[in-house]
Amino acid sequence: MIALKIAQRELIAAWRERLHGFRILMLCLIFGIASISAIGSLRGAIDAGLNSNGRVFLGGDAEIELTYRLANAQEVAWMTGQSLAQSQIIDFRSMAVAPATNKRLLTQIKAVDSVYPLVGAVTLSDDLSLPEAFAGRDGLPGAILAPALLRRLKITLGDQVQFGQKNFVVMATLLKEPDNFGNFALGPRSLVLTKDLEGSGLLAAGTLFSSKYRLLFEDGSQLGKAQQRFDKDWPGTGAKWKDARKASPGADRVIERMSRFLILIGLSGLVVGGIGVSAAVRAFVAKKTGHIAVLKTLGATPGQIFWIYTIQITVYTGLSVVLGLLLGALTPFAARPFLPGNLAEVALISIYPSALIEAAVYGCLAAAIFSIWPLAQTEHIRPANLFRGGATAQWPARRYLIVQGALLAAALFGAVQFSGSWSMTFWLLGGIALSLLILAFISGAFQFALRRIMRGSAFQRQLPLRAAFSALASGSERTGSVVMGIGLGLTVLAAVGQIDGNLRRSITQSLPDKAPSFFFLDIQSTQLPEFNQRLAENPAVRNVETAPMLRGLVTKINDRPAAEIGGDHWVLRGDRGISYADGLPEKTKITAGQWWGAGYSGSPQISFAAEEAEEIGIGIGDQLTLNVLGRDITATITSLREVDFSTAGMGFVILLNEAALRGAPHSHIATVYAEASAEIPILDELNQAFPNVTGIQIREAAALVTGVVSSIASAASIGALATLITGFLILIGAAAAGTAQRAYESAILKTLGATQREILTSFALRSAMIGALAAGVALGAGLLGGWAVSHFVFENQFEIIWINAALVILGGVGLTLITGMLFALGPLSKSAATELRHRD
Amino acid sequence: MDNKFAIDLQQVHLSLEGNAGPVDILHSIDLQITQGSSCALVGPSGSGKSSLLMVMAGLEQATSGRVTVLQEDISAMSEAELAQFRRGRVGVVFQSFHLIPSMTALQNVATALELAGQPDPFDRARDKLSALGLAHRCDHFPKQISGGEQQRVALARALAPNPKLVFADEPTGNLDAANGASIVDSLFTLTREQAETTLILVTHDIQLAQRCDQIIDLRDGRICESTDA
Repeated sequence: MIALKIAQRELIAAWRERLHGFRILMLCLIFGIASISAIGSLRGAIDAGLNSNGRVFLGGDAEIELTYRLANAQEVAWMTGQSLAQSQIIDFRSMAVAPATNKRLLTQIKAVDSVYPLVGAVTLSDDLSLPEAFAGRDGLPGAILAPALLRRLKITLGDQVQFGQKNFVVMATLLKEPDNFGNFALGPRSLVLTKDLEGSGLLAAGTLFSSKYRLLFEDGSQLGKAQQRFDKDWPGTGAKWKDARKASPGADRVIERMSRFLILIGLSGLVVGGIGVSAAVRAFVAKKTGHIAVLKTLGATPGQIFWIYTIQITVYTGLSVVLGLLLGALTPFAARPFLPGNLAEVALISIYPSALIEAAVYGCLAAAIFSIWPLAQTEHIRPANLFRGGATAQWPARRYLIVQGALLAAALFGAVQFSGSWSMTFWLLGGIALSLLILAFISGAFQFALRRIMRGSAFQRQLPLRAAFSALASGSERTGSVVMGIGLGLTVLAAVGQIDGNLRRSITQSLPDKAPSFFFLDIQSTQLPEFNQRLAENPAVRNVETAPMLRGLVTKINDRPAAEIGGDHWVLRGDRGISYADGLPEKTKITAGQWWGAGYSGSPQISFAAEEAEEIGIGIGDQLTLNVLGRDITATITSLREVDFSTAGMGFVILLNEAALRGAPHSHIATVYAEASAEIPILDELNQAFPNVTGIQIREAAALVTGVVSSIASAASIGALATLITGFLILIGAAAAGTAQRAYESAILKTLGATQREILTSFALRSAMIGALAAGVALGAGLLGGWAVSHFVFENQFEIIWINAALVILGGVGLTLITGMLFALGPLSKSAATELRHRD
Repeated sequence: MDNKFAIDLQQVHLSLEGNAGPVDILHSIDLQITQGSSCALVGPSGSGKSSLLMVMAGLEQATSGRVTVLQEDISAMSEAELAQFRRGRVGVVFQSFHLIPSMTALQNVATALELAGQPDPFDRARDKLSALGLAHRCDHFPKQISGGEQQRVALARALAPNPKLVFADEPTGNLDAANGASIVDSLFTLTREQAETTLILVTHDIQLAQRCDQIIDLRDGRICESTDA
């Protein structure tokens, strides 16, 4: 194999030159592969952690959850018969009050029995055990509080805390709660014994709580069979089953989606890396033009030439893959100390081959796709090029295009398989491809425009500007590669920044204008008149809306399982807030069908939210079966309503006629609109009068949500930064490759009398212009993306986030300018005579 | 002295750093070239002809000695001062043309005029190119024109600012005989048209050297003979 021998010789020569000319190619691939394998490895670590510690995170082999009620005797008997041990937990929101200062705060109370925890261990401060903590002091039962709750209530161990109408003594701080992984709560945790809540007034009929029954089986490996028995014996009860095979499905889902999203962003980095690979291979082939022409003169066939250089690129790719995987596999080990608390506890850091295989596949495909075109150009180099300079770029032969197309299809297929979501893959990769096309088009149009502008005599007076423009227009600055390289990273950063900024703005600025000040929960029917009276007498209160509140699960649609019709729609996932009304509520707009009319007492009817009905694929006449407090209610949809959730106000997807829910124990919720300065006094007054009522301050909830949104945006920004770094590598490659040309140009201009300052200005101008072009296009794309997401997804007014916009522009210009200047100093310092002597 | 010297070198020594240490290129060069005359530097390859030309053109700083060009001592000038000095005063034609690849023929010539601070640089550039028969190549890039045409553009660039000194380093070295002869004719004609323009050229061509007023023969970095033609 002549091709192999010649390739080997060239590889050895390149190794002696320390891989000069290939470092950028390898770095681009290494970085892209390392990013993807690091994300995949981390995800693998978290998955492994969740799977191997499922029992601990769940707190048992299985959990049966009921909403709004405790298990009845029959259900308790079933659980006792099926399992070795059981533990009951009641989870609900309430207010924690510091009696000494009257400061009150929302808390998520977990009331447990004496058996808790069935599996795992809760860690408390001062090495206290749970029984010791719950024992309390001075006749008061003990409570365990999360550090954040202690801090914000400004109380310490030994102080009292009030839940409902009962006082507890704070015995310990909750340091670790393994069965709480992945649960989102509006308030910090409080832990008490269930029996100690007697007399508190909490957990009255109709209170919103969930009861969870953790079970330990004799054979923990037969969970599938256990679930089958549950499905058979608990139909229509509204109970939900969870087991150690998937202990935290909510968190699992979030982690899965985030990691898939980040891997796809990592892919964008690899795509940019591919541009770097393409540029490096093109430069390599250009450098070897004479060599190739000689080989052809000596009788080498085009196929042999192709393989000589493909073998070399394959070796470099292989090396890059190995190094990239090594880096990626080791990153989770290095990153462990920096992981957020919860994830650090869960993750089982190790080597995960599937993550590495995925990254390797992507890396190899990217290298192949982006190098095949320039490698195919070797076919167009003729022996005559020895005398007449380099070959002009042409389209490759059809067979290479077919192979490239096949590789692209394989890459897309792989991306869909690995991500598990064709829509996410399509939108993200499609967006990346579109962005690159736009960047390439704009770059080409820019160069065309420059050539036209340069003909204008008025423009031509400024030498540094003309020298910069002519260099950019000629393509010697590799404008296209650089613009695409850093442009894509800046585009993702710009889009993330605009979307995040607008979402936060809508939460923190426009939401307070339309959102209520409070949500009050668990208002008993007997308390409602006094509740309304107190608020009516308060001049700071602008408006109060109340509604009855129950929770129910949509189990069937038209007598078929709900998921079969509506898929994974959020309305069908888990239990929902349900209400009833007799007369048409104020400001309600019926968009289809007819309201049942006041006093209606016929068969149950539903008024459904119009937008959600359309998404699920249901409408007037469809029947829904709801499980409320363990009982099935089948009702017909007779009207559709407009429901605007963006105001964070009262809005129920499902409203039933009053008679359908007559007799069902329930409480009421209220939204209160008040002046900001009056919020705390209102909360204090109502909580003192009604200790069982929970008040959620929307401002605080919004801050919590903003924090979550920011974390997601930060993760996406880090992914975008990785793409930008790859683009930066391309920038360095282009700058380094242009050094000889700049030295030459500098020498000629010096002979004509140009000073170093004038030459440096020209270099600076061209760098700044490339950066400004890339940043300008990126910002445009980012603004468009931000507008589209704000308008179509969040249905919000879009506003330009100027800080992000400025950072993108400054970042793009700064990056290219600094890099350009660093690589300009060398050429500028060279003596003109020396440079020209070398050229002669 | 009545005859002004365009070039006056006194005990000029040039040493350059090579891979194996400093290399002496020029030794104790004493040389005067009268303003308005033409001078050929001849000698075998490696004798230092091009290096001497670079020193005289201010493109290379002499290691020691005094270099006076157009009555100005350029020995101790900084890079910026040398660049300023060259503007409009010095034109250089290279063997390999050395046109700026990203600029058209017109722009290459206009750049020299612009740096020299001369008005209407593009009109003048166009005129110069037309005078050399290149009016139809004004908007072409160097890679789009032949070697002979490139050298004529280089010539136009060197001569357009009406410099007092014109240096030509093997101007026909990369050209065929016909093109070479044409370039040389243009070089001599155009420099003679400009009053008091001194022409200094490096050449292997004896016939070309004999067209000059003065021939300087260099061997191993020293002037071994200086004759008036």
